[in-house]
Parts: sequence; structure tokens; C-alpha cells
Amino acid sequence: MRTAFSNALVAAAKADERVLLITGDHGYALFDEFRHLFPKQYINVGIAEQNMVGVAAGLAKSGFRPVVYALSAFSPIRVLEQIKLDVCCDELPVLFIGDGAGVVYSTLGVSHQSTEDVAALRALPHMRILSPADSHEMKAAMELAFQTPAPIYMRMGKSDLGPVHHAPLKLEWGQLLPIDPGDGPLVFVATGSLVNLAVKLAKDWPGTAVWSAPFLKPIDMDSLVNACSRHRIVVTLEEHNIFGGLGGAVAEIISQEHPMPICRLGVPDRFSRFCGSYSYLMREHGLDLDSARSQIHAFIKKHPF
Amino acid sequence: MAYHGSTVHIACSFSLVEILAVLYRRHLKLGSEPNYPDRDYLILSKGHGVMAQYACLREMGWLSEDQIRAYYSDGTELKGLADASVPGLEVNSGSLGHGLAVGAGLAYGALRRGTSQKVYAILGDGECNEGSIWESLLFAAHFRLTNLLVIVDVNGYQAMGLTSEIMNTDSLEEKFAAFGFEARTVDGHNEVLLDQAITELVQSSFPGPRAIIARTVKGKGVSFMEGSNIWHYSRLTEKNYQAALAELSANAAPGLRP
Repeated sequence: MRTAFSNALVAAAKADERVLLITGDHGYALFDEFRHLFPKQYINVGIAEQNMVGVAAGLAKSGFRPVVYALSAFSPIRVLEQIKLDVCCDELPVLFIGDGAGVVYSTLGVSHQSTEDVAALRALPHMRILSPADSHEMKAAMELAFQTPAPIYMRMGKSDLGPVHHAPLKLEWGQLLPIDPGDGPLVFVATGSLVNLAVKLAKDWPGTAVWSAPFLKPIDMDSLVNACSRHRIVVTLEEHNIFGGLGGAVAEIISQEHPMPICRLGVPDRFSRFCGSYSYLMREHGLDLDSARSQIHAFIKKHPF
Repeated sequence: MAYHGSTVHIACSFSLVEILAVLYRRHLKLGSEPNYPDRDYLILSKGHGVMAQYACLREMGWLSEDQIRAYYSDGTELKGLADASVPGLEVNSGSLGHGLAVGAGLAYGALRRGTSQKVYAILGDGECNEGSIWESLLFAAHFRLTNLLVIVDVNGYQAMGLTSEIMNTDSLEEKFAAFGFEARTVDGHNEVLLDQAITELVQSSFPGPRAIIARTVKGKGVSFMEGSNIWHYSRLTEKNYQAALAELSANAAPGLRP
């Protein structure tokens, strides 16, 4: 997925010299090719994120297409006000890349983890949020992002989980993507790293439909209602706080348009207390296969079909 | 505006009147329209002084008398703090420490595009409490933004009192010089000296950004406002409005010609 990201960025910079990659001293190795090919379109503004976003806004105002790269723990969270006032308020075409989203930096602790970035950005008018699950979604998402002159946040989480799609895609803003069809009582709607988990989990309940949600804002209402309406329970899965992310967005739409029980799986409103591997921390937050399975079983018990 | 709208923030508007007058009359290259693409950029980073800039935009013909009269009333465009949706205003700077970074991005963009555009960014000395300002100063110097002129309106006050007592930002000229700016201090109410300093700094061959530390008086021109920080918050009554008007009219001078 990171290769798909890097390739898409290189292609965009090659096609349009207004594309500038701005980094706050992050992206070691990831940008080797970009720096080699387009040294003049690469700007390291140092460890100063507030200025970085303001500079990106100024460049966007003067006709450039800035791509702001940072860890998602620092941008958007540290610079939420700059994103709000300098970028979103003026609807500027700045593409934010939030790398390491979720608990990817599992050993480094809370400072480098982000399970609140989507919640923070969803409430900013004009902001669009992408959350690709694999290299196919990433490629299509980057293409769409460069075609859309607007504030966009690209949430880049755990990237080495393998493909969930079998062929290249075209994306349209807001749509959900079918992964596994099914007419059973359950429908899973997952985003980013947890689409992979959703596919594995679904095997426990034959007939379960699985959808990927590469868009966290906007989410197309009809697309979501169509995905859910043939089923009895919708389960959302995301590597993000259960508040304000995919689960929140689905609940907002479904409660209004097609009320049905919604089981929101995500980080249960807590920080990581312990150090450990990615898989350890996911288990610790209840987002491994076994924990997710038992949470769904418990939910079904409370809301029998 | 302040009287008709019954608004706050009049004193911090009065401290930058001459700075704005000299920039608009003598230095800014603006097109006939506010959004002319190759214009110079005037960034009011201390967005609290926006009433003074509204007056300039009225003089430019970009705001109507009706808009000025309706300031602060329901459903009108002119807000109490600078907002980029108003033609002629470049940034949303009600929250302090934002405008300079955007201005630095504009300056960097103009250099990349090879235009002769200049960026004039007006900060407050109180605003220099914000850490983001110092991030932007590092950036401006490192990327040699020779087309950026920062003007600090040093009126000596911030919201709750004297800057020297709340968060001392003294020796700004030395600080800017240490950050890699060509900096000088001038009387911010003397239009001749301001004009001269801006001209010299803009024409200077210095290989980096430039700064003017403008010594000003908060509430300048109205004796009961000068040195009295309640005019950051106070609203004019009919009586003190007339008194202020009389004093300003009596001392009015034509100023520098465009």
C-alpha cells in the first residue's frame, strides 16, 4: 500500500509541477524516489507543524497543489486549528497524508498513535476523508484526491496486511465497495486496516456481507442504506475510537434512514497503556479475531435476529 | 464603525492606521479587483485591528458605505475579526499566530513562480506570544523569503494589560535579527519614517526576509484611549464618540500622497 502511495505521488508530481510535497521532517526512505526525481517539488519545513499547514495554505492560495505529509498523530491533531481556519475555511486544495494512523507505532506509545483523527476532522466543513484498505484502494484514492481541488485527509494506517480487492478500482466520492456478498442477518462495514479482519470474521457467520468504506466523509447515504437494508445487524470495524469515526458516521445515517442495531467495533475510548507489537496492541484493545468475534456474539445475544 | 456597531477592539485598530495608510498609498501593488492574481499581499495577522483595514478597503472602493454602516449587525459580511471571505482580506486571522505562516507560504509561492509580488505581514507584539510565529520566522529566514516584509505593531499591550508584564516580547529587533531578518525599529505613527523604512528594506539587497518593529500607541489619536487598555473591550457612548471624533478631526493631517 505504501508503494502504491509513493507511486501515485510520483505520478502526480510528474504530471503536474504544481504538486509540492511538504513534510515536517518525516518520511525517511518513503520519499527517496520522489526526492531523487523531483528535488524542487520536495520541501522539508522542519519540525514545525503549525507553520507547515499555514505555508501549505499560502501555497494553495497561490495556485500550487500541496501534499502535506505527517504522522496522523501530529497532523491533524496538533494543527487542527490551522486546518480549520487556514485550509478548510477557504476551501483550499491541500491534501493531508496522515501516516501511521491507528496504533501502527505500537511500541512508541500514545504520542505516536492516533485514534481520534477522524473524529476531529469529520466536524470540519469542506473536509473530505479517505481511508484506503489496500493498494488498490490507495491507488484509486490518490487519483481521486488529485482530481478533487478541496481539503482532503488521506488516512494511511497499517499497510502490510495484503489486498482485499483482486483488481484495480475506480472510486467515486462517498461510495462503499463490496468485498463479500451475502444475504445473511449480518453486514460488516469496515475501513482501512480492519477490512482484512472483517473478511476473516465473516467466515464465522455464513451469508455475512462485507463492505469496505474507503470514504469516511462524505459517505453516500443511499450506498450505505442499500448495503445495510437487507440485513438485521450492522457491524462497523475501524482502528479508531468507537466515538466519531466510521461507527459514528454509520450510526448517524442508519439511525435516521433505516434504523437497525449497530455494533461498533473499534478502540473502546481508551489510550494504549502498554508497549508491544502491533498484534499485541490490537488484541489489547479488543480488535483481534477472537475478541472481535466474542464482542459480536455478545451483541447478537442482546439483539437476536 | 465602532460606534454604530457598538463594538470592541477600537484601540488596537488605531495603533496601525499609519502603517496601513503608508502601505495602501505608497507600496501595495494591487489590481483593480481584490482578487487580481499577481497582487501584493497584505496579511493582517493581528486580525483584531481589522476595523482599520475595513476603512482602507472602503477607500479602495471595495467595500460600500452601507457595508461599513452595517458592521456588526445581523446577517452582514463584516465580522469583528479578519476573515478571508471579505474582498481585500487575505486570511482568517481572528485566532492569533496564523497569518504569518500563510503569508510565508504566499511569499514562497511567489518566489517559486518567479513573480515580483511582495508580502507584507502585520503582526501584533502580543501576537508574538504565539509559538507558531517563531516557527514561521525560522521558515522565512531558512527559505530566504526576500519578498516578505513583517511589520510588528508594537503597541505595548495585549488583551489583559501591558505586554511587558504579561509575556515580555521586548528587544524584538534583536530577536528578528537573530532569526535572520534585516530588522529595524521606527516610529509607527510617523508616515515619513515608515515610508522611508519600508522603501529601504524592500529595495535592500539583503538575502533574506525583512522586518520593521513599529513603535505605536494603542488608541493613538484619542487621548482618553491612549495608554488605557479598557479600550480593547469598551464600547463608545454617544458622548465619548463625539469627543473622540472632535479630537481626531482637530488633529487630522492629510498624510502622505499616494
